[in-house]
Amino acid sequence: MLARAHAFTIEGLHTRHVTVEVDVRPGLPAFTIVGLADTAVREARERINAAIRNSGYEFPARRITANLAPGDVPKAGPGLDLAIACAVLAASGQVHGERLASVALFGELALDGGVRAAHGTLAVAQATRAAGLAGLALSPSRAHEAKLIDGLEVAAVEKLRSAVRVLEGGAGDPLPRANPDLPAVYDASATTIDLRDVRGQAHAVEALVIAAAGAHNALLSGAPGTGKTMLAQRVCSILPPLSTDEAIEVTRIHSLMLGTRVEQLARARPFRAPHHTTTAAGLVGGARRGCVGEVVLAHNGVLFLDELSEFSRSALEALRQPLEDGCVAIARASHSAVYPARFMLLAATNPCPCGYAGELERCGCSEAQRARHARRLSGPLLDRVDLLVNLTRAGAHSTSATAPISSAQARDRVLDARERQAHRLSAQGVSVNAHMDARLLREHARLDEKGEEMMRAACERGLLSVRGEHRALRVARTIADLRGAQRVRARDVGAALALRTSTAPGHGRLA
Amino acid sequence: MPSTRAADVNGACVPCLRRSWLLASLSGPLEYCARDRERLQALLAVEDAELIDAIGGRRRAELRGEYASFGAHSLHRCAGAQALCRHDPRYPRALLDATGAPRMLNVLGGAERLVELCSAPAVAILGSRRPSDYGRETARGLARGLSASGVSVIAGWQDGIAIASHEGALEAGGATVAVLSDGIEATTPVRRRALLGRLARAGCAVSELPCDRAGRRWGQLASERTVVALAAVAIVVEAEQTAGDLAAAGLAEALERTIAAVPGRVTSPLSRGTNAMLARGASIVRDAQDVLELLYEADPSRARTAKPESGPAAGAPLDARLQGLLERVGTGSDTPDSLAREGLRLDDALAGLSELELMGLLSRGDGGRYLPASPTSAATRIPNS
Repeated sequence: MLARAHAFTIEGLHTRHVTVEVDVRPGLPAFTIVGLADTAVREARERINAAIRNSGYEFPARRITANLAPGDVPKAGPGLDLAIACAVLAASGQVHGERLASVALFGELALDGGVRAAHGTLAVAQATRAAGLAGLALSPSRAHEAKLIDGLEVAAVEKLRSAVRVLEGGAGDPLPRANPDLPAVYDASATTIDLRDVRGQAHAVEALVIAAAGAHNALLSGAPGTGKTMLAQRVCSILPPLSTDEAIEVTRIHSLMLGTRVEQLARARPFRAPHHTTTAAGLVGGARRGCVGEVVLAHNGVLFLDELSEFSRSALEALRQPLEDGCVAIARASHSAVYPARFMLLAATNPCPCGYAGELERCGCSEAQRARHARRLSGPLLDRVDLLVNLTRAGAHSTSATAPISSAQARDRVLDARERQAHRLSAQGVSVNAHMDARLLREHARLDEKGEEMMRAACERGLLSVRGEHRALRVARTIADLRGAQRVRARDVGAALALRTSTAPGHGRLA
Repeated sequence: MPSTRAADVNGACVPCLRRSWLLASLSGPLEYCARDRERLQALLAVEDAELIDAIGGRRRAELRGEYASFGAHSLHRCAGAQALCRHDPRYPRALLDATGAPRMLNVLGGAERLVELCSAPAVAILGSRRPSDYGRETARGLARGLSASGVSVIAGWQDGIAIASHEGALEAGGATVAVLSDGIEATTPVRRRALLGRLARAGCAVSELPCDRAGRRWGQLASERTVVALAAVAIVVEAEQTAGDLAAAGLAEALERTIAAVPGRVTSPLSRGTNAMLARGASIVRDAQDVLELLYEADPSRARTAKPESGPAAGAPLDARLQGLLERVGTGSDTPDSLAREGLRLDDALAGLSELELMGLLSRGDGGRYLPASPTSAATRIPNS
């Protein structure tokens, strides 16, 4: 007799639908699992055997073949145990599994017949709904995670027997109480950092608001102790909140990659700050099959690279594709995958190797050292950075004439500006100014006569390259949006030029 | 000496080429002696035989043998460079009169051009190898103004003030003489080769060593004496009060050149050397006009005719808002933050700074600080309203 059950296997960030087919026929007793199963799946035979017997059922002493289709997808992990066991029971006629066709089963079996949690629940729940299945049966400890997906019937099953009851049309076990102490993967309300903590540096704070408003990548440059890291850490507090889809994506990535248990969706954008010794594989992923990098973990959030000049050249080069396309395509001999990686890049650096350039003659670096430093920073990565924010020590000491703005105030301005951008650009499939291409810029960032003249002068003086001109235009557009204006004025262009990243040609310095 | 002139290589006679070869061969001992600057300068002034005796060490006999059998064909020759020795009537007169000056020069860019540049009034620009933005911008502006008024700018090939001077002069379309510390084909750093090529098209670069020999540290000290010897006025733009930064000024004093210095902040270590020179009686230099007046002191009528260049924006009056902003930057509020602290709106400050930068009145320096363009151009571009 033949029975079919639905399950899912996880590969990196992706889930694959697996149909479990079990055939039980007369013959010498044997239990074979076929279909590119890894060790954990093959060991399932012993677990299933014991669990079935210890649950009070009979393990058929016949020839059992379990096939995991499709046959060319490698199956990993113990999450398939429950589905195979239920299919065996159905195929041997011990269960009337009419609901096997509409309920996905996900969990590892204990020898006593208990159901254990397998990681990646949120992803599986999402895939279950996408596959058009009505319900998902899984361990009670992860039921709350699965319930985060709307429109999915979640049945908690503590034992194999409970799963059988669910398949025969009964109810699942009662859900445990949600654990209020389990935080969301990212939660703004759980932290107390606020833009108001930043003293002085009014210019840098304003630049950060501009960066957040247009989702521009930004580089913070300044002597040690000027508050670069402090500012960067606060950028998530002024970014717009995650939409539900984004929140599910973020939560899914983190529950899969970090194996953390979650009961609620992420409430803030991820902020990833990898150390500067991180390798290219660490940043973009691909070290092992299914292993993703920091850029993927920063998806929908912020990737902060402190001490940018200390990162290895290859690591920085590897960031080009994700910065350009919003995804990373990884191809290795054994596997290939495309992962989402749309993030805002924030980087911090010292202006020179000793860090004190521009600080009243304290810098002791030679020309050659500075040239080397600038060369490490320049090039393809800096080409994708729209804003350069210079911080000075004097700026950090002084209290500004204006009161510091709080994250809430800044966020309101950012939200306003984002709304304006979305309204203008949504027809073109773009949502923020930072992603406007040359054609959209011509259309939406038209300058008045004086602005045109300033742009031309900047190009003639060699202050801007063609790419630099586009970056300055995007920033000018965002500044106008923050002001609530339709047109980009000359003064917006001026402010954008003051925040430009490019150096004068041959100057060899980051200024 | 007609007998030796028969063996000329591009116009230099064998004894002078031999001197150049000897210095390169004694590079090791000279490097050792360079720890004592005065000893090095003294050694550079001694005759060949004495020099071998003084520092030849164990290689004395070998060197004497090679010296006796020296032939000009054994020297590496490089394309584009011309040799010029003191027996040539075109050799710069200033070097003939100075004791210890090099006896021959390899010239990149043409001997004729060197003659032309050395017959015009010449000014040496000296200073620190790690200047501040202020120093760099001042040197650049001085060179720009001076070369636009037809004065030859002479400088070394070290980082900092020297390179800024060459760049400034080239910006004005002028010509400079660069005194290299290495042979012409062995100049370091390599990243400056492009600048050297640009310089050689407009002005010229000279070196007293054979083309393929590196000069090391002693070569740099030796090039300083050539720089000051070639010039009538030596200007120190920024110097710490250390023996290294002030050595060139000392050489200029010994050669009885006019010494001038650019004043700086009293709190800045980079200006202590120059401020001390001013206190001791060096002439003060604020812009190119000051230098011109120093050069033509004896002949004030010429000073009137030679005017520094006027910038592209000359005559266009600056509006009060930008003028005020420029003055604030000049008095030290040189970041958007510090301007905001003085009560300016941040976006006004940013927009204004950009406008001034686009007019060439400001430039962005280290750490994003703005600095006013050099005195020369600023003085000529801003009407004194």
